[in-house]
Amino acid sequence: MLEGWVQVVELLQLPFMQRAMLGGILTGVTGGLLGSFVILRQLSFFSDALGHSALLGMVLGVLLGLNPTVVLMVFGVGFALGVTFVLERTQLSADAVLNIIYSSSLALAVITLSLLPGYRGNLNQLLFGDILGISTAALWTSGILLLTGLAYVGLTLPSQMLLTLDEPLARARGVQVGWQRLAFVVLLALVVALAIRSVGVLLVSAFVVIPASTAQMLGSRFTTYVMLAMGIGGLSAVLGMIASAALNLPSGPSIVATQLMFFLLAMGWRGAQKILGT
Amino acid sequence: MTGEVVLRVEGLTVYRGSRLAVQNVSFELRAGSHAAIVGPNGAGKSTLVQAILGILPRQCGSVCILGEPVRLSGYLPPSVRQQVAYVPQRFQFNPGFPMLVEEFVGLGWGALQPRWPWQQRSARRQAVKEALERAGASHLFSKALGQLSGGELKRVLLAYCLAWPRRLLILDEAPAGLDTPSEGEFYQLLEELRQSLGWAILQISHDLEMVSCYCDRVLCLNQSLICQGSPQVALAPEVLSRVYGPVRDSGAKHCFVRYIHRH
Repeated sequence: MLEGWVQVVELLQLPFMQRAMLGGILTGVTGGLLGSFVILRQLSFFSDALGHSALLGMVLGVLLGLNPTVVLMVFGVGFALGVTFVLERTQLSADAVLNIIYSSSLALAVITLSLLPGYRGNLNQLLFGDILGISTAALWTSGILLLTGLAYVGLTLPSQMLLTLDEPLARARGVQVGWQRLAFVVLLALVVALAIRSVGVLLVSAFVVIPASTAQMLGSRFTTYVMLAMGIGGLSAVLGMIASAALNLPSGPSIVATQLMFFLLAMGWRGAQKILGT
Repeated sequence: MTGEVVLRVEGLTVYRGSRLAVQNVSFELRAGSHAAIVGPNGAGKSTLVQAILGILPRQCGSVCILGEPVRLSGYLPPSVRQQVAYVPQRFQFNPGFPMLVEEFVGLGWGALQPRWPWQQRSARRQAVKEALERAGASHLFSKALGQLSGGELKRVLLAYCLAWPRRLLILDEAPAGLDTPSEGEFYQLLEELRQSLGWAILQISHDLEMVSCYCDRVLCLNQSLICQGSPQVALAPEVLSRVYGPVRDSGAKHCFVRYIHRH
């Protein structure tokens, strides 16, 4: 036990581990912040579909020899704008459109990947990410995105709350619903695109959905709920990274497992509250 | 009818998809006036008020609120927009939505301009308390929005409108679902807002009894305006027969038949 802790302390002194920890916290907090709106606006599938579609962006980046992070962010914004455009101009349901786009992107990504035989070995890294390999530039970008998200949500909180609660009510108050929605999905796309490098296409939506869903069970006040989602996202990253270091487990999945633990604890807490009638 | 014109609608035509929902509607509403829009289901009442507010796009005509035109995009200057309140017909949200009544009513306070959440918090809180008290919902202050009954939700929606001084209140079947004493209180409150504060009220209603008691103006709509005038004129049996005549909606027709029998 003691040896495990010593190992964790030693690992945390390594620069790559410190970067990974900070990257996890920034991703977790930003995921919680945006996720708290995502789940109430029923956009969970959007972040999941974006994550899966982003595989095509990453593969294209590798194929063209461009910086994968930049390609991913451009791809993410393009995806968000494309989905919004299609949804506004067709009578199709959102989940059908997202499913069409993400399954075709995934198919194209796998076909393109098959043309890059030397890269196939890195598929695991694409799918599950590599938080330990996070660069200082990615950390700065994550930090800037978190501050942008905080300023955007903080300054427009009443509009965001109304829009999340009831769209006609928001429109009647003069909320520019189209612009607000677009700004939000672009921000979400950037955050998801950046997080994919750390946690992979398969797990990225967990960072957005699980902490917010946990917070929804614990907070009755909206502002408390958003702060809880951010806190649970950040704390899950810290505890997940520590567990990963102590038990020599993969980092991204360890963070998601920690988020799941918080979710189960919150469910238990809610269940106990119902039984006790409080 | 000497008050300032608060709302002016001219030649308003609205399509919902390819279907003509509202055709060439024109009317005015002055300060201190309480007007009701009546008509069968599918007559375009909700579409009309949503087009007035810019929630739905209009194809023809103009809408002016407090002298400012509502643009085709729905834009209205924030200084005017904050003087308009709207209670929708349906207010449905996820029951697990984490929001307290106090927070929701606070959303009705002030203009929705960028500001940090901690700015003017005490003024907002005070306004919320007063609005809830006026709407008879003080006891709901700390209750979760998702735990409210239908009637409580109506009161809270009204408090949301009362949290800021308005000039125009638009209600889409707002008292529907309230028990009889609460409905009476609701109309009394509207009357107080109209008389003491000079609010102009535009209300969609199926309750012709209440409309004849409290409204000074009735707009009979069935895609286009069939008649507009005082309740005595617009609720005359021959007018109502023209409005509700071809209607398939038995609920609204029953309401109108009952009204005709009583009068």
